[in-house]
This record gives sequence, structure tokens and C-alpha cells, in this order.
Amino acid sequence: MVTPALPHENLAAEVNARIGAPAARPGRDADRIDGVIPVVVVEPLTPEAVAIVLGWASETGRTVLTRGGGTKLARIPAPVSTVDVLLSTRGLNTVEVHRHGDLTATVQAGATLRETNAVLAEHRQWLALDPPRGDRATIGGILATNDSGPRRQGHGTPRDLIIGMTLARADGVVARSGGIVVKNVAGYDLARLMTGSFGCLGVILNATFKLAPLAGASRTVSVTFPDIDRCVAYADDLRVHAATPSALELAMPAVSMLVRFESVESVAEQQAYRAVALAEAKDGTAVVLSAENETVAWQAHGARVLEGEGTLVKLSVVSAQLLPTLIWLDAEARSRRLEYEVIGRAGLGVLCLRLNGATSDQAELLNALRGRLPVGSGSAVLQEAHADLKALVDVWGPIGDGLRMMQEVKRQFDPTATLNPGRGPGGL
Amino acid sequence: MMTTEFLVELEGIVGADGLVRDEGELITYESDGLVSHRSRPGAAVLPKTAEQVQAVVRLCHRTGIPFVARGQGTGLSGGALPHPDGVLIVMTRMTRVLDVDIPNQRITVEPGVVNLEVTRRVASDGYYYAPDPSSQVVCSIGGNVAENSGGAHCLKYGFTVHHVLGLEVVLPDGEMVHLGGEALDAPGLDLLGVVVGSEGTLGVVTKVTLRLLRRPESVRTLLAAFDSTDAAGNAVSDVIAAGIIPAAIEMMDRTTIRAAEAAVQPGFPDAEAVLIVELDGSQNEVETLFEQIEAVCAKNHGWGVQVARDDAQRGRIWMGRKAAFAAMGRVSPNYYVQDGVIPRGTLPEVLRRIRGLEQRSGLTIGNVFHAGDGNLHPLVCYDDAVEGQAELAEQAASEILTYCLDVGGSLTGEHGIGADKVCHMPKMFSEDDLATMQLVRAAFDPLGLCNPDKLLPTPRLCGEVPGPYRAHPIEVAGLAQRV
Repeated sequence: MVTPALPHENLAAEVNARIGAPAARPGRDADRIDGVIPVVVVEPLTPEAVAIVLGWASETGRTVLTRGGGTKLARIPAPVSTVDVLLSTRGLNTVEVHRHGDLTATVQAGATLRETNAVLAEHRQWLALDPPRGDRATIGGILATNDSGPRRQGHGTPRDLIIGMTLARADGVVARSGGIVVKNVAGYDLARLMTGSFGCLGVILNATFKLAPLAGASRTVSVTFPDIDRCVAYADDLRVHAATPSALELAMPAVSMLVRFESVESVAEQQAYRAVALAEAKDGTAVVLSAENETVAWQAHGARVLEGEGTLVKLSVVSAQLLPTLIWLDAEARSRRLEYEVIGRAGLGVLCLRLNGATSDQAELLNALRGRLPVGSGSAVLQEAHADLKALVDVWGPIGDGLRMMQEVKRQFDPTATLNPGRGPGGL
Repeated sequence: MMTTEFLVELEGIVGADGLVRDEGELITYESDGLVSHRSRPGAAVLPKTAEQVQAVVRLCHRTGIPFVARGQGTGLSGGALPHPDGVLIVMTRMTRVLDVDIPNQRITVEPGVVNLEVTRRVASDGYYYAPDPSSQVVCSIGGNVAENSGGAHCLKYGFTVHHVLGLEVVLPDGEMVHLGGEALDAPGLDLLGVVVGSEGTLGVVTKVTLRLLRRPESVRTLLAAFDSTDAAGNAVSDVIAAGIIPAAIEMMDRTTIRAAEAAVQPGFPDAEAVLIVELDGSQNEVETLFEQIEAVCAKNHGWGVQVARDDAQRGRIWMGRKAAFAAMGRVSPNYYVQDGVIPRGTLPEVLRRIRGLEQRSGLTIGNVFHAGDGNLHPLVCYDDAVEGQAELAEQAASEILTYCLDVGGSLTGEHGIGADKVCHMPKMFSEDDLATMQLVRAAFDPLGLCNPDKLLPTPRLCGEVPGPYRAHPIEVAGLAQRV
């Protein structure tokens, strides 16, 4: 653990003097990131102030870590040593404009997803993302990690929904990319470049998204299966029958599936009953859930991996490798006496794994898992892990031959290595 | 300049039959679909393999010769306009389908494969490739990747960038990299998302892995006529307000309806505007929502409703729409296709201004509109034989772009910036915005050899003083600030 030894009050005062507002304070124990207390915590109330902080930090050679809701800070490698500035975006938290007739909205980075969708719901629309902890996760954080949840099946990821962005570069220059229209190919797509960059290229100030109408009705088919083989086969059946679920989630080791249909009521209902029939043909036991029961089932599904001890891993495989990977994982975890839970997008091959047990066994399992996934055909990325495990297993895994160009892009955008140094994908 | 040694080396890579030096033959390549921009390349090569592409790029990089990749040459922004001192890399011989992977809903192709061929390869398995630009019978996947092509169905299904999973790219220094892959969410920066739509300025794509979609259970297409474009526009707004996302909503005005009728006789009513609305999904869903669409059309006094009952009828309606550009040739000797985007709700205002321009300029301007996503294609008609009309048409087309920007729109929805609109970029983006985009180019192509003079303006191209930056409407409204 590193104890800062600088005169923090002075540094906070210096930042405040630059901004011209009392936005900075010395870091506290509660601000720790992987054990490191930031020297200064700044929460600017304007985009201009964010740019000023960045300009000052890059000029004076200080490092800046960004924080939105703080829900994902543990997902990335620990800070190298000291953290000079922790920059919170929570001061920028308004839905700037909701163009409901155009199905678009521009939202500041520090607004939480819940806050955003509460505003958009006034016109029966939403930003169609349901990542974990959406009550606290901010738009900026969700974008920076390209995070999504079960309804990715029907709606995609932040990358699929973003149409414009304003960002502050490490040197404090503010730039805009894209726009407020859903179709737009003018210029390089900096918004997509920033999405999933884990804050290593710039600070997101606001973002404009394509929205979705809120569905009139929702039904979820909850199915339990005797084994994972039949569960995965069921997902294939749904596809072959051209079902259009908004979510198609499997869970293991207690094998189950949740299939959600959202449309007008009669359609959601009819699709759900068709899905029940297909499930029963695969020896599944199925019930159709709605209203409160449905909400509870989805919360419990997410909690299987999000609540509890251990390591969180994001796993991605091609469809044909889904079943073999799950079978291998189950056998491997059992033989190593590791507890595990898997949930995930059966239609997309994107899974979330919680693993608990001896660190060395976890490390061996994860390395063996990566051995099964050549670059391009799958990946296993640590999302939340104890420092001991991060010491044994690289957070990202192999990046492939694009890494050099990623490093070059990082150098161009942040030549002073000011922003989240070492915490970007592949250690950028 | 190209030396004899350079040309000998070039021939050594692609063979005598892969190198074009003959001035007459090079004429074929002097423009893409935007014929108002012409430039003959120093040489053209037709590589057959990714290794040949890589060797050509390496040679160019080593010798400082610019290079431009070209697919089928259907682009409408001069994105594949050759460099007069450079090599044109023509990808039309790289047409192999490398892997059809139905279980994983993927297909891997070489960039010269034509868009529609992808769907043809997987149709019998019940799958298709979603992006469907109007030129899909001839345009290539490589060109689609460069331009991030859309199409009529992108309201619901997105653009090329939403369907490309993996790319093999020869970078401007000749290094070959693999971005994305078969599986989703490859760790790392989303360089794939930047390369798609980069108009061939960040490298030459040599292999593309695409996502295939399951054919929907049911598709239903409706055509309705309206007495004004405003009424048709209101119908579109009502559809969106009802929470329906159709697979496509297209609008054509009187001029383009008549052109399409003259060219391909799709049987469109003679009206001020027609809307084409397509729904897809489960049978039950399509039937239920279709009733709502019919009700919306009736409420907005739509008439002459035609509902496609089968693929043939559906095909006829789409033929009328997709032929609209080419059909303008039936009613006008020449025409200029514009590609602006506007927030959909501003359509009446923008169309009013275009009508005013039509009267002032004396030029006929037809409009085709991807109504769901706000992509407006005004077709400015002119006669090249009449002195000064071509320039007048180009001015009119440029003016329409300012209307689009005034309402917060974009210079281009799907055709790209290319050589055509590069000097318009400062009207949409500030110097800081453009300088930040330039960082991407500097990372990929520090020597500036890869499709130079496209996409980003330079003082040399556009004059020492870049065009005035005008505050974006969201800034004017105090909703965002530039700091």
C-alpha cells in the first residue's frame, strides 16, 4: 500500500485555482483504488473544468485516473504506483437533450444509466443497455468499458448505440465526433474508438445515443434443464425457429435459461408460449413469468455471478464452442475444487464467470482456458480479481497483432501518458 | 514519381497481367461512381492475394509512392479517386469466399466479393447479410467496409460496422494485422470500429469476417401514397411515436417517383410522395404491427395502398426504390446525388428550403429519403450541355448540405467524405475536432501515403484558410459547449 507523502492540500488548492471553483479536495481512505489513495480527487461541474484539469495534469506530468460510478475500477490492473488525480465525472450528470421524435438523446458522462433512463421513460423510450449495477454505473463508465447485459441479444452494446461524442483529450483539447443523427459517416469514428478504451485515450464528456422505444409488454420464459447439452441445444432451436428474444441467458452449474420477449402484449405472450413448447421438447421445465415475478427472476440471475466471493471473468467464444467450453469448464472447476457460476448470452457466446477458490488453481484454470481460445476466436478477460490473482494472470490475455497500432494510437492521443496509464486494454 | 525500377518491382509482385500501365486502359480507373472527379493513376495493380497486396504496400511505403485501394468503383464521393503519381490497388480479383460458417453465423470473404453474393451464398441455409446499399448487386464488401455502407434496412439492422466481426488489414507500412475476429469482444481498442468507415485511409483490407442474420419468419411491405411530403413525414413520425421500429421506411417525392416509373415501371401511384414501410419479425408480430402501420397511413390520409403479398411483389416495390438514382437518367441528362443527414423531425423545414432552391436555381431537385434514419438523397438534375449548369448543380448540392448542417445534421450518411466533400469538413467540425481525427491518421499512416487527400481537409486541398466553423445547433442551444 502506498501512502502519499505530498502536501495534498496544496495540490488541491492548485487545481481549484486553475478551475476557479472548489472542485478538488485531498484524497481520502474511501477513495482508494486497489489500495492506492489518490493525492487529489476532483469532481468538476463543467466540461470546461475537466479540460482545464487535464491540461494542467499533462503539463505538470501528473497522472489522472477517471471514475464515474466507481463500479468497475477494480476491473482494470492496479495503478502502477501513485495516483495523482482521481477525476470524477459525477458532476456532469444531466440528460442534455432528449430528441424523442428522432429516438436520440445526448447525455453527460457522469449521469447514471438509471438517471438517464428515468428521464427518457417520460417519452416511453430508453437507452437500451442493461449492464450490471446500472443503478450506479455512469454513461461514461459504461462506454469506457463497452459494458452491456442480457438484453444485448436484442439491442447490442454501447458501441452499437453510440452516434456521437464529445471528449477531452489528455492535453485538455476538447473534440467532437459523429453527431446527433443516427446515420453519419463524416470523419473518423472517434466515439467508437473511445468506447471500450477504458479511459486511456481521453475523458468522455457527453455522448449521443440512438434510443429504443420501451416495449409495451414483456414475458420471460424460465426454463430448467437436466444438463447443459440440452440447454445449449435449446438456444439453437430458438434461432432455427427465428424467435426474436431480447435476452437469451443461460446459467450453470444449476442449468437454467431465461428467455425474454418484448413487444406488444399479444406478441410477447405468443412468443413466450412457443418458447415453452420448444423447451419442453428438450426436456426442459418451463414457466412464463411476467410483472414482479419476471423482475425478481432477472435480479436473481444477475446475482448468481455479481454477488458472492471470487473472481469475475468475461468470456467470449464462438457459438460452436459454447457447449464444449462450458463442459470443459465444469469438469476443470470440479477437478480443481473451484466454485463457479456462469451466466451469459447464449445467442452471442459472451459469458460472465465467477470463480472462487485457491488463487493458484484459479490461475491455472484461467491460463488453460486461454490456451483453448486462440486470438480472434475467443477471449477471457479478468473483470474483478484480487491483486494476488492479477499478479499471476494477465488481466487482458493476448491482444493479437493489432497491439502495436493500439500502442501507437495511445501515443498519439496521450503522449504524456497522463490518462489511466497502464490501465487500458493490453496495458496501454 | 514512379521509376522504372519501381514498375519492374511492381510487375514482379503482381505479374504482367496484374499491372496496368496502358493509358487507354487506365482511363477505366480514373473515377469511381462520382464521375465529376477524375484522375488517372500512375499505375494500377490487380493483386490476387493478400500477400501481393502486402508486397505492393510495402514497396510503396519503402519508396514513398502513394496508393489508393479500389473495389468495384461504385462509391459516390470520389473515395477511390486515384492519385496521379500513385498506384491504384484494384481489388476486383480478390473475390474468393473463404469460409461459410453457418453454425457460428459467420462468413469470411475477400474484399472483392460483391455484397449481394454474400447473401446468395447463405440464403439456402436461411441466412442473409443485412447491409443492403442500393448498389448491392455490384458494390464490393471491401468498398462497403471502407465507406461503412448502410442501405434501406439500417434503421433496424445498423450499418456495415455493426456486421463486420473481423478484418485482416495491410497497414500503410505493409504490416498485416488482424482486428476483431470470429468471436465477439476481442480485447483491445476497437480499431476495427475505426477502420470501418475510414474510406481506405488507414490501410487496405484483405479479408473480412461478416455476421450473418437468420432470415426473419415474416416480412411484409407496404407502399402508400400521400398528397404532400409533409403528410408522409407525419406518418413516419407517428410510426416512431407508436414505438415501432420498422425494418425500413423510405420516402420518395414526385420527381423520383416519376423517374422510377419511367425506368422500371414498379407501378407506383402518381403522387406527391410515397412511403415504403417494411416490417419483419415473427409472423404474429408483423401482422399485429402491420395493422398499426395501416392505421397510421389512413390517419395521415395515405391512399393507393399496396401491400406486397409475396417476394415478387415485394421485389417490385424495392426495385422501384433502389432504381431511383439510376432512373434519374431517364428524366435528366445529368444529375448530382447528394447525401445529407438531418434529424428526421426537421424534414419539412429542409424540404421547404430545397424547394426554394429549386425555384431560385431553375434546376429540378428530386428527393429520396431514408425516412427512418434521416438520410436525405437530393438528386440535383442538370444538363452538362448547357454551359454553367454543372457548376450550378454542384453549388446547389453544396447549399443543400448547409441546410442539413443548420439543423444539426451531417455532410454524409453513407456515401462518405472522399475527395468530394473534404473541403466541407470544416463546416461540420472544428479545427480541434479535425486535429483529433488527424491523430488517428498519424498513428496509422505517418507518411501520408494511404489514400491521401481524402476525408480530412488540408490547406493545400482547401486553401490556406479553412472554411468557417459554425457553432453546432446543440452548442447554440446551450446544450454543449466547446472549451
